[in-house]
Amino acid sequence: MSFLGLGGKPSGAAGAISRSKIESAETEIDTVADLFNRLIESCHKKCIQGYQEGDLSKQEGLCLDRCVYKYFEVNAKVGELMQSMGQQQFQNR
Amino acid sequence: MDQLNPREQQEFSQIVERKQMKDFMRLYSSLVERCFSDCVNDFTSERMTSKETDCVSKCSEKFLKHSERIGQRFQEMNTKLMQNGGKL
Repeated sequence: MSFLGLGGKPSGAAGAISRSKIESAETEIDTVADLFNRLIESCHKKCIQGYQEGDLSKQEGLCLDRCVYKYFEVNAKVGELMQSMGQQQFQNR
Repeated sequence: MDQLNPREQQEFSQIVERKQMKDFMRLYSSLVERCFSDCVNDFTSERMTSKETDCVSKCSEKFLKHSERIGQRFQEMNTKLMQNGGKL
């Protein structure tokens, strides 16, 4: 049995392993996990006010909900801007 | 991600498992760092004060609830994005 299927014979029934397909699936979950971790970091900084309680206060919870939403909005906005910047650069060539 | 064949899926799930393990260790060390820097400020003794201990346990508890809540919203946003074809 080869490690991670490297060098393994392509099997007929289950199909061969495509390294690039696995890699792009990996990149996909890495991107999602990265976004999630950044959200955790940013929204903790913005919303968590102290440790008088182990529970989230009403205000903190509300702040977190809005924080996630706004983070996505900024994500989309920056994406748009970068796209138009890219297009401009392309046209100016 | 669903176009992977069974063998690829098997390999991919091993990769995901390793990543989850790594992610868990990262979560652990970042939580230690966070609660240490937010709760421990008194170095007149090597023993933790009861206030610090209390703060650390609340800090950890709160952080887990924090990430749970973010996780829920995150899931909702992702579903929404998929339904609307990438639009919020």
